[in-house]
Amino acid sequence: MESPQRIGYLVMVVVLGHLLVISAQINAQPGATVLERVTVGAFTQMQRWVTTTFGVTGDLWTGYVGLRNLRQQNLALTDNVAELELELQVQRALAQQARSLERLLRLRETTALPTLSARVIASDATPYFRTLTIDRGRDDGVRPDMAVIAPAGVVGRVVAVSAGRAAQVQLLVDRNAAAGALVERTRVSGLVVGTDTDGLLRMDYVSNLEDVRIGDRVVTSGVDGIYPGGFLIGAVTEVEQGVGLYLVIRVDPVVEFSRIEDVLVVVDASATLTDDVGGQ
Amino acid sequence: MKASHIWIALAVALLAQTTIVSVLAGGGAPVDLVLVVVVFAALSRGPVIGLWTGTFGGLIQDALSGGVIGVSGLTKTVVGVLVGVAGAQFIVGTIWHRLVILLAASVVHAFCYIGIYALISPGNPVATLGMVGVQALVNALVGILAEAGVRATTGLLERVRQRRRSPTRRRWTMS
Repeated sequence: MESPQRIGYLVMVVVLGHLLVISAQINAQPGATVLERVTVGAFTQMQRWVTTTFGVTGDLWTGYVGLRNLRQQNLALTDNVAELELELQVQRALAQQARSLERLLRLRETTALPTLSARVIASDATPYFRTLTIDRGRDDGVRPDMAVIAPAGVVGRVVAVSAGRAAQVQLLVDRNAAAGALVERTRVSGLVVGTDTDGLLRMDYVSNLEDVRIGDRVVTSGVDGIYPGGFLIGAVTEVEQGVGLYLVIRVDPVVEFSRIEDVLVVVDASATLTDDVGGQ
Repeated sequence: MKASHIWIALAVALLAQTTIVSVLAGGGAPVDLVLVVVVFAALSRGPVIGLWTGTFGGLIQDALSGGVIGVSGLTKTVVGVLVGVAGAQFIVGTIWHRLVILLAASVVHAFCYIGIYALISPGNPVATLGMVGVQALVNALVGILAEAGVRATTGLLERVRQRRRSPTRRRWTMS
């Protein structure tokens, strides 16, 4: 057993070290640190493997449960039927994947934006941040601050490209995320920020005098230089007169962030949309 | 709990947290598996091991989460030391004691985390009180279930090993 005095010194040294590391980052330039690059690089392959294994196991489990229920209903079913059921599960999964990719392809075709398709291989490491990891990285031309979109709308932006074939994406619902936005009906602009407390977004800096109604669609304005303009963010669910100069606006994001599988990384956000593709 | 076991548990917790847990919980997972590992490491090996487990686990978690590096490391270090000291001072052998320790550790961790982020970016809270409560409960339940699972597995393995070594079995196989 270590002496209490030695433990005390050790705690002081380690806590001081942490505080120095934290304070060094407060005014530092944004971007991935060496620790982030090394850790994400080391974990990416394992995360990819676990995600794949878990997906396959999940499919097999679903197939097995379905098969058992089927047997209870009809005892005459043979192993041949079981194989067909399993095959059906696989085909359904493939069809679902094909539909998802088709939607992604349609989105890609309707935009004039140069994009890169990517798969989601991991998500949040802590309950306090809303990030996910995609299987495209520096080798594929992905760089920090590139916008990430899905067929439904805006997903977030790349915050770190730490490994050759992986990148971290900050979701729009993350408390540190923000995007230039405007109300589609009236073209009133503001800033949409993540709150992460109830899955809703908040639209800031919209004057109390402006006309914003519940149900209004909110799209990206493109002024932030990250997100291309015209992409759907969500719909207004709550509008209140604020205490100060601005309205209090709540926006329900159109993307279901917990179920994202495939996304597009916008390689060049300066290009414009050929059509409003949000909500397709 | 050997040092190698702690490393393996940390790696498994980090992998599970970033892959399986979020899929099962449907995003915004209200559990912190790394914290659970830190608490059990500190309970079984004392404050110094709790400190290092918290430091390394927290730093890796910070690096993977995209947040400010050191916040999770610092909070988990503090929790690891406190739990280690509590484990050395009090009897924490029963399931209820461990449940209370896990709940308290989760709450302390959450408040430290929220507090540090409040200092870094004021007016933008990382979590609500409701989230803290739910997370503490889920952490405690997951921790207790994981410990029961590990104990059951090691007990089963031990029984199998003893049965293999037992003279009765040897006699049977000889005859």
